[in-house]
Amino acid sequence: MSLLTLDNVTIRFGGLTAVDTVNLEINQGEILALIGPNGAGKSTVFNLITSIYQPTEGTISLAGKSLVRIPTHKIAEMGITRTFQTIRLFSELSVLDNVKIGAHCRGKAGLFQAFTRLPGMKREEAEIEEKAIKALEFLDLATKCEEMAKNLSYGEQRRLEIARALVSKPKLLLLDEPAAGMNPQEKVVLMEMIRRIRDTGITIFLVEHDMKLVMGISERIAVLDYGKLIAEGTPLEVRSNNAVIEAYLGSGKFKSRIRR
Amino acid sequence: MKKLLNNWIVQVLLFLSLLGLTAYGSQMINDIIPPYFLMIAFFIGINLIMALGLNLITGVTGQLSLGHAAFMSIGAYSSAIATVNYDLPFLLGVLIGGLIASVFGVIIGFPTLRLTGDYLAIATLGFAEIVRVQFTNMKITNGAIGFLGIEGSTTFPIVMTIAVLTICLMVWLENSRNGRAMLAIREDEVASSAVGINTTLYKIQAFAIGAFCAGVGGALFAHTTTFIQPTDFGFQKSVDILSIVVLGGLGSIPGTIIGAIVLTAAPEILRPLSNYRMIVYGLLLVVIMIFRPYGLMGGVNLRQALRRAMMFPKKKQAGREE
Amino acid sequence: MPILNNLMQQLVNGLALGSIYALIALGYTMVYGIIGMINFAYGEIFMFGAYAGLVLALTNYVNVYVALLGATFITMVLGVVIERVAYRPLRRSSRLSALISAIGVSFFLSSLMVRVKGPNTRGFPTLFENRIFEIGDFQITIYQIVIIGVAGLLMLSLHLFVTYSKMGRAMRACAQDQDAASLMGVNIDRVISVTFAIGSGLAGAAGVLAGIYFNAVQPYMGLLAGLKAFAAAVLGGIGSIPGAMIGGLVIGLTEILGVTVNLSEYKDAFAFAILILVLLFKPSGIMGRKANKKV
Ligand SMILES: Nc1ncnc2c1ncn2[C@@H]1O[C@H](COP(=O)(O)OP(=O)(O)OP(=O)(O)O)[C@@H](O)[C@H]1O
Ligand SMILES: [Mg+2]
Repeated sequence: MSLLTLDNVTIRFGGLTAVDTVNLEINQGEILALIGPNGAGKSTVFNLITSIYQPTEGTISLAGKSLVRIPTHKIAEMGITRTFQTIRLFSELSVLDNVKIGAHCRGKAGLFQAFTRLPGMKREEAEIEEKAIKALEFLDLATKCEEMAKNLSYGEQRRLEIARALVSKPKLLLLDEPAAGMNPQEKVVLMEMIRRIRDTGITIFLVEHDMKLVMGISERIAVLDYGKLIAEGTPLEVRSNNAVIEAYLGSGKFKSRIRR
Repeated sequence: MKKLLNNWIVQVLLFLSLLGLTAYGSQMINDIIPPYFLMIAFFIGINLIMALGLNLITGVTGQLSLGHAAFMSIGAYSSAIATVNYDLPFLLGVLIGGLIASVFGVIIGFPTLRLTGDYLAIATLGFAEIVRVQFTNMKITNGAIGFLGIEGSTTFPIVMTIAVLTICLMVWLENSRNGRAMLAIREDEVASSAVGINTTLYKIQAFAIGAFCAGVGGALFAHTTTFIQPTDFGFQKSVDILSIVVLGGLGSIPGTIIGAIVLTAAPEILRPLSNYRMIVYGLLLVVIMIFRPYGLMGGVNLRQALRRAMMFPKKKQAGREE
Repeated sequence: MPILNNLMQQLVNGLALGSIYALIALGYTMVYGIIGMINFAYGEIFMFGAYAGLVLALTNYVNVYVALLGATFITMVLGVVIERVAYRPLRRSSRLSALISAIGVSFFLSSLMVRVKGPNTRGFPTLFENRIFEIGDFQITIYQIVIIGVAGLLMLSLHLFVTYSKMGRAMRACAQDQDAASLMGVNIDRVISVTFAIGSGLAGAAGVLAGIYFNAVQPYMGLLAGLKAFAAAVLGGIGSIPGAMIGGLVIGLTEILGVTVNLSEYKDAFAFAILILVLLFKPSGIMGRKANKKV
């Protein structure tokens, strides 16, 4: 069953068509990877799904409900959360607070609760804290609770972003280059974590340049080149697809084409 | 014991006795210290209330505002009109001052939401200038001549109790879902909306509450000096309040308290230097910024430091495991 | 056609006033373009320029151009010193600390002037005979001609400097990307110093012109003039040099227009009302490029 549907999605920035009539379905419970050379439009697809950008044409829908023109914060409420390619943590706040903020869309307390501190509010706070610590344990960051986010190592920061996105129990988790900057051991651990997240019933859509990781965990792979979807299939199919080989190797080395 | 402390009713009682104690204590101080020092203490309290409001807007939510004096003036004038022209009781006047300022906070909040950083700063500054010019040209405020005959109803216990109340409310807010959302907006707006924070809503909340505090401060100010004129609420005043917040350490409540004490008292302490005091004050701002660019309490997280100190043995163990 | 003539008259008056704002606005815009900081002390540098001109004019009975050059030079040095002492140590800290430091400098300068020259408004000695030319029905004074002329000349040379000189190119490079410019061998510190020198010099010159025009110099004159000039810079699109000129002129013209339509009590509010409207409907200002939000 398809959870997220991209229907003829196009976005143009001035003369540049960053995403070009993309049709893509993400199935409930799968791990889908989106790959493609630099500047292919992968991050832009994530920005479109989370309403940070609005498509010039086409529609995106979550379980049949259109996401077009729905503000970003509502998208999170509807069950799509994400990480960012360039880490965007709340860097002056503690690790625990970062994750607690991730649970924002599952909380209810407002100003009245903040100022009265009635038992209900404290119960909610305790729940949030418990959930946050669980998420941190899941990503092996529990010992860093009190640390400021900016003092974590690069790999830890990437994991913290995942924890922050995970704590609200989304239906769909978007990971934008989660392994970037990690060392090989960290990557192996990360692969295992992503699998475990999926096993809790969360669908995963990831963008990644590390082919070992992509081939290792994805059930399906979609390939984007110059904004166009050029291939889609199992890792085996994609690996032997001529268009994909052409996109990556045809114009020289992998990761060598940056469009501006 | 711990369970008892966690009981809501017990906490309310504790809170009320804290307020009572403050009122009682400040009444005693009021009776013993010389009027000159009492006046300084008055203004420390009033500045603190306003600075805590600005701290919420600028320090916690990260929205640079250079127009806090406008909210203060709105509170001052509307409370004065309430008590003088309509004979309303003083405390009701203070409340009205806060509420009207807060309404303006929301009105300003809306359009300025489209602006960020310096643009927001300049827009709030522009708004403040417009408000000032407006008050200069209004009949009911007696224009540039100033509003006379306000009763000196503000008392030291009232100032101190409201100040302590404001501190408590701010601490609670900062440790709530709303407060965390505001902090998140300061840190990164895009990431905030990606985790489901309605940035517009919380920015407006911050402006509304911050303006409310400024309005209350303004009302207390009007009923302390008994005479207000538009020039009391110029750009200089906005800067004074902002300096308190920045000097103390943006986002830090203890910092704001220290900032309010230091910067309200400094010009007075420097009074022996009379002719040079504003010169020294200016230099002081520069020097403090150079040596403590994040404010006196910037980078010092009291709660975290305390928690650290208590968790020390456990922490060490965790460190060894790595 | 009296209405048309009146309009022409106001246009000339507004142009003169606007030129002064534009000169100060240039300083704001240049510094903002390069280090992304609002130099709130510019208003006070402007005030210092006016006093420097006053002192020069009084002591030597020099002619207007010497006073102008002298004041420009003094404020240039002042600007560079301020940057060295109060801003450079804060370059890597938050914007707000630099802002507060700038505010400290501005307090310092204005209260220093109160101390040295007293708080009262001083007249400006007549450096040359003012004469009124009648063109048709409207008049233009020599003062206005000098102000518009000097301001025009300064802006033109600034434009040429930034566009064609090596330093100007380095400045534009820094405005685009400081790190990249630094890697290309641009001496950032020097560029910033030069920027402050030029910006402050322009503000100083504006101070002398304002002193002559209004025949009044006062320690706190910098505050409102500075705020309005800043409004002008934002209005024109902060970071843009032609924008600052246009912004200054627009602010000057509206202020005069406000006086013409009998709203002079509100004249100080006009600049800011326009500013807010522009910010809301075209936040990047008249000449500013739209910042593209990339995530
Ligand atoms: N807001 C924007 N304005 C203009 N162009 C943009 C914007 N966002 C993205 N682009 C352009 O769209 C293209 C696709 O960018 P995108 O970041 O999606 O690539 P990507 O596939 O994620 O690449 P990478 O692997 O380097 O992350 C690029 O050419 C980029 O410059
Ligand atoms: Mg990308």
